[in-house]
Amino acid sequence: MYTMGIDVGSASSKVVILEDGKRIVAAEVVQVGTGSSGPQRALEMAYKTSGLTREDMAAVVATGYGRFAFEDADKQISEISCHAKGIFYLVPTARTIIDIGGQDAKAIRLDSKGGVKQFFMNDKCAAGTGRFLDVMARVLETTVDKLAECDEKAEEAVPISSTCTVFAESEVISQLSKGVDRNSIIKGVHQSVASKACGLAFRGGLEDDVVMTGGVARNAGVVRAVARELKRNVIVAPQPQTTGALGAALFAYEEAKKMKKEGLE
Amino acid sequence: MSKVETILKQFADVAANPKKAMDDYTAETGKGAVGILPYYAPEELVHATGYLPMGIWGGNKSISKARTYLPAFACSIMQQVMELQCEGAYDDLKAVIISVPCDTLKCLSQKWKGTSPVIVFTHPQNRGLEAANQFLVQEYKILKTKLEKILGVTITNADIEASIKVYNENRAIMREFVKVAADYPQVIDPIARHAVFKARMFMEKSKHTALVKELLEEIKAMPIEPWTGKKVIVTGILAEPNGLLEIFKEFGLAIVDDDLAQESRQIRVDVLDGEEGPLYRLAKVWQNMYGCSLATDTKKVRGKMLMNKVAQTDADAVIVAMMKFCDPEEWDYPVYYRQFEEKGIKSLMIEVDQEAQSFEQIKTRIQSFVENM
Repeated sequence: MYTMGIDVGSASSKVVILEDGKRIVAAEVVQVGTGSSGPQRALEMAYKTSGLTREDMAAVVATGYGRFAFEDADKQISEISCHAKGIFYLVPTARTIIDIGGQDAKAIRLDSKGGVKQFFMNDKCAAGTGRFLDVMARVLETTVDKLAECDEKAEEAVPISSTCTVFAESEVISQLSKGVDRNSIIKGVHQSVASKACGLAFRGGLEDDVVMTGGVARNAGVVRAVARELKRNVIVAPQPQTTGALGAALFAYEEAKKMKKEGLE
Repeated sequence: MSKVETILKQFADVAANPKKAMDDYTAETGKGAVGILPYYAPEELVHATGYLPMGIWGGNKSISKARTYLPAFACSIMQQVMELQCEGAYDDLKAVIISVPCDTLKCLSQKWKGTSPVIVFTHPQNRGLEAANQFLVQEYKILKTKLEKILGVTITNADIEASIKVYNENRAIMREFVKVAADYPQVIDPIARHAVFKARMFMEKSKHTALVKELLEEIKAMPIEPWTGKKVIVTGILAEPNGLLEIFKEFGLAIVDDDLAQESRQIRVDVLDGEEGPLYRLAKVWQNMYGCSLATDTKKVRGKMLMNKVAQTDADAVIVAMMKFCDPEEWDYPVYYRQFEEKGIKSLMIEVDQEAQSFEQIKTRIQSFVENM
């Protein structure tokens, strides 16, 4: 039985196809999200990789910011539930999840069975999210995928405001004009993202293991900054950008089994 | 349209158009209205003048002019009130009464941009002392004198006693409404529930009482049906605009009780009977108030009070409607959140911004919360 999860995010579209709720037969990411061609392209890539079609899917679950805009799903489930499901499947010892996506950040606490005990999300502000890093990378004349490398070369972290993306951008420009080392500024930017996300985690209380997920978890500089801020080890989820879609595919598997049992297949 | 629907529409219409409610009252009585800002002004004093006390609790406007006078981190209600002041929305009011239990209100009271005369009074925060009651009586005497002067009326003790009776009756019927709404969530959804409370701010209270009574009689004649969704208690300053409450509806959440400053905190404490004069008994309301972030509470009873409400209503969870940039509410939160955690009470915090037009993030939070209840 094949099931599919699609995570239509604000900045990217992710699709995971599962066989029998266990084996990942496709996991695709397109770096544009809801309202774009991203969801359709991610779907086409996943079908091509797996050699399957929509008709082969016993159930499809959509998640992410654009979950209600994706019409071809059997069910829509929130990204918090899906990230929790996906992470717990990959890292059963996870008790605290820090998910930093394109436009929001979340801290999720899990119980020993993978249930969501509590969660906190950032308020309506891009500070501490992937969008913040996009803006900073542009000002710093680099790309998001090179930020971690620059961070590693830095000797210190230059303090950057974590309150507002616009003000932080001005701060960065000011530091650059003073001739401050660019790598140190980047390390400071990572620290700023980490302090914002960790503030959410502190609010709900911390419990090991701490697992990071979402697109920003691919940035080792942010992961190191989060570990420093939390003063504990941080595990990065395998393929962190697709854990939400994986969770959705797992929910789709449960949904398909339920439909089969009820004779609604 | 059924009778229940007709009555609910009446409340919704008043809640949506306070200006019309004021104009209708003026046409009917020849008198006008007095604006009452949050929180806990002795409305009975205004009612005793024959003028209509009108709640001023913000709106749903895009903020621009208010930025001249308030920082971006001032709470959403005050941003809205300032914007509306700048537009002259309150200039038809004969007076505006402002209490100052938070810093933003204190500052706002000193730079009112409307043309109506402003009367400011202070609640004593050291509430446990008898001296606090005496202080507040003096404040109310000043307030009464200023009202009399501005409106050209005399307020007698008999007038105040009559108004106290009207208000106590209204608070009692609203407490009953809360219980009935909890029993009939299919009939009183979160939006209708809010409209009944909100209309209370713009209607003469005896008329509001009569309409609520009529509504309750109709509803109580209906069979109680099982509720398949979840039941929640909502706490905070207010839960607006309706777009926010639509999400409650969408995900099957029934509000079975609340601790909102705009709603149940207004009806929590009655003016008690007694030998003392009416101003003293009105002042005692502040001393007897409990579980509100604006009133100093050294024993921090809010968490316990909310947990009692959960137990009494068999609620599944508490939803914290956190007013954006409201310091007093933010300070209370970690205290009762820990108490909830210790007792295993589920809770969710959502941010309330009256200016909001889009609620996608809140939708995600509420959907996730319901999925994991």
